[in-house]
Amino acid sequence: MATGGIARRSEGQVYRVAVIAALVLVVMTPVGLILYQSFLDAPFFDKTARLSLEAYDYVLTDPDFWTALGSTALFAVGLVAVAVPLGAMLAFLLARTDLVGKRWLEPVALVPMFLSSIVLAFGYTVAIGPSGFVSLWMKETFGFKPWSIYSLGGMILIGGLSHVPNVYLYVSSAMRSLPSDLEEAARAAGANIWRVSLDVTLPMVLPSLIFAAALNLLLGFETFGIPLVLGDPSGIVVLTTYIYKVNGIFGTPTYHVMAVVAVCLILITLPLVYFQRLLLRNSRRYAAVGGKGARATPLRLGPSGQVIAWGLIALWLVVSVALPIGGITVRAFVDSWGEGVRLRDHLTLAHFAHLLDTPSLYRGIVNTLVLSVVGGALAVAIYLAIGLAGHRNKGASGAVLDYMVLLPRALPGIIIGLAFFWVFLFVPFLTPFRPTLVSLFVAYTVVGLSYGLRIIQATLMQVAPELEESSRTTGASRGRTWRDTVIPIIRPGLVGAWSLIMIVFLREYATGVYLMGVGTEVVGTLMVSLLTSGSMDQIAALAFLSILFTALGLGFALRLGARIHD
Amino acid sequence: MTNRRSFMAGALGSAALVGSSRFSFAQGASTGYPADYADLIAKAKKEGRVAIYTSTDEAQGQPLVEAFKQAYGIAVDYNGLGTTDVYNRVISEGAAGQVGADISWTSSMDLQMVLAAKGLLDVYVSPEAAQLPPTAIYKDMVYGTSIEPVAMIYNKNLLKPEWIPKTRADLVKLLQEHGKELTGKVASFDPEKSGIGFLLAQTDLQNTSSFWDLAKAFGAAEGKVYGSSGAMREKVVSGEQILAFNVIGSYALQWRKESDVIGVSFASDYTSAFQRVASVTKNAPHPAAARLFLDFMLSEKGQAILADKGVPPLRKGYKGPLDAEEIGKLTGGNMKVIPIDEKLVGNMNPKMRAEFFQIWKKAMRGEG
Repeated sequence: MATGGIARRSEGQVYRVAVIAALVLVVMTPVGLILYQSFLDAPFFDKTARLSLEAYDYVLTDPDFWTALGSTALFAVGLVAVAVPLGAMLAFLLARTDLVGKRWLEPVALVPMFLSSIVLAFGYTVAIGPSGFVSLWMKETFGFKPWSIYSLGGMILIGGLSHVPNVYLYVSSAMRSLPSDLEEAARAAGANIWRVSLDVTLPMVLPSLIFAAALNLLLGFETFGIPLVLGDPSGIVVLTTYIYKVNGIFGTPTYHVMAVVAVCLILITLPLVYFQRLLLRNSRRYAAVGGKGARATPLRLGPSGQVIAWGLIALWLVVSVALPIGGITVRAFVDSWGEGVRLRDHLTLAHFAHLLDTPSLYRGIVNTLVLSVVGGALAVAIYLAIGLAGHRNKGASGAVLDYMVLLPRALPGIIIGLAFFWVFLFVPFLTPFRPTLVSLFVAYTVVGLSYGLRIIQATLMQVAPELEESSRTTGASRGRTWRDTVIPIIRPGLVGAWSLIMIVFLREYATGVYLMGVGTEVVGTLMVSLLTSGSMDQIAALAFLSILFTALGLGFALRLGARIHD
Repeated sequence: MTNRRSFMAGALGSAALVGSSRFSFAQGASTGYPADYADLIAKAKKEGRVAIYTSTDEAQGQPLVEAFKQAYGIAVDYNGLGTTDVYNRVISEGAAGQVGADISWTSSMDLQMVLAAKGLLDVYVSPEAAQLPPTAIYKDMVYGTSIEPVAMIYNKNLLKPEWIPKTRADLVKLLQEHGKELTGKVASFDPEKSGIGFLLAQTDLQNTSSFWDLAKAFGAAEGKVYGSSGAMREKVVSGEQILAFNVIGSYALQWRKESDVIGVSFASDYTSAFQRVASVTKNAPHPAAARLFLDFMLSEKGQAILADKGVPPLRKGYKGPLDAEEIGKLTGGNMKVIPIDEKLVGNMNPKMRAEFFQIWKKAMRGEG
């Protein structure tokens, strides 16, 4: 019996070590390459490259770098301050109350996530930019236009509102598995529903709130599209656009300077990761699904609660869904817009006809669907394998795993894509995969790692240890416990993770900038490359289609998920 | 500087003024082609495809690709990238020995010259070479495919007719005198983000005395900078900006046809023009098809197809839309064509670039 136990433990240990070793290899290869590159004075493949601190010297003495760093910090903190409270409130209303129409509201509330931030910024430009249709209407009706989206404040608001669904997804997935007895007790004791949400529900999902805040802070640090479209023309530079533009200042590939900025980003975000781990060390406190789990019953909002909730949600929906989508939709069907242009006279379907005519754009649509649906499912399987390896693992390997997961999140997608471009270019047995979707899949999986894994971990964490312990004491192996006890319990979470990863893969644009080539076109990155050539017509049409496809995909995933919920 | 100017005058002479060419068109496409050209065609067909890395908009490039496919039955992989991406990609792939591009075709002449200097381009004497001006060929590696003057575009509904700049001097004066009224309403190329944007700024700096005055007035008027001509078009059409300068003229002429809002103006005292350059990549995966495509771009037929989409041909003796005569008329005769020569590599000097951007950024902050 005793020897059997040891054998089983070592079996679990072997699995754990193997998975973590593989993860370290996949994550550290690009990160290590970036680190190495930062200490050279030329691209690493250049024969003249020598070890040097030249690039550090350049970056750290460049006043533009410090300005960009300041703007980035402001943007990221502002984004979190907007997104987290709104996302948590939205999650509470949709997951814990009897809000009217929440079934169809949920997919609608996720819409801002469908859009890459480049497209989102572009949609806002058409709607509320200086010549946007809403701005022009405001000017005609009231004689003035009270906002400017080409400012740091405008960027923060737009960035924050667009990240509300990210917070919502994390928090609501935790809230859904909460039993309702505590909330009901508070209600019975006379607390009103807002008080319940603040004092009872939110504390119970604190881990997911912290994760959401930390991750959105990281996302804020690496946002590229919004600063590029809204800030850059007016000279507002953040770290990602700094990286993007530094190439042009030297006129040669300045991979070493780009690498230094990436290393700076890692140094800024590592303490954040450490702090996050510290907060969550005692994760048992948050286990909420006990051995005798009860299904949640929704809290009653009451008529005035319904009205207030609906008013807030409607306002948010108009600003963060109707405006950008409206902007994109208008732009996709006209060839001209703005001041003095009657949109009616410029309606056209030509942009869509052009998509079908152009092989690269057409291929991009097909590739994107394959990568997000099939690739997304594969990625979730990989994340689950990693999540189980780290599950109930408080040892050193658990710490290694946590850092491995968050490291890539600390890097902008464009840098990860570039690093993987190098890997697939220079590692001999990998080169055949570069012109295939495999290269993009690997990079996307790494980029989506922390998103997907945190969702899976948050779900795993809520499986009370006694469930696993009872399975183990009855003689089941670790593998069997996972297969028969843990995974069935978290299945709704897995489906949620799949739909999330699908969305992440659909909207990803920065990662492919360097990796994408003929045959591996994807919609998000095509929009970036079309932006450098200025083909706004096709960008709008692609954006419109990708919204449609994502809506379909999500509808499907929700249907699947909904069945499991019932 | 003067040396460079005379160089440009030379380019202008050979490129723009050889309207009355001694080459007649009856000679047909096979003129100057070697007897064994059929072998090249056979090899190219056997290779079956050709991959192009280019900064050229698909609207301009796709018809050429279609015609090539039809003529030879060879598939074309058209990789639309920004100017700096074309360059970075060719360098990285060359270093890894994983060359993907057969042809690189870009408006960033200086970046292409660096590729030549780094030995990443192949030497190929095109049978069409004799039909090109000498300033359009560098060491049988870099070939010009077009002469494209730079334009100003404006929103016809929003820019006062008396403000429409007819000359570079007009533009400088307009920004200096009416900068306040035009605050946030003027756009230009971003030399940081775009390789062609930098090349155009350098050319202006070297050929006009008013470049920094223009930059300062532009910065003081909170001018906005963009990474592509298309992005500027979008802003001017919508009225967000009402005037943009240093826009690629070939695109601008096409847009004027499609939109009743866009006006196009070429400065009659000074208009710079760049050549869109193409090269066969060293160790190209489909070397024969690459050569065939390059020849096709430079051929009478290829050039006419480009002209049809607004890209002015540089082939000597070309007659038709956007020929030398028409371009001369449009630009008022003071067009400076940037020659393809080693001086362009000087644009890559890091010290020079750092100094340029220091002054430029200061000007853009309105501190000029």
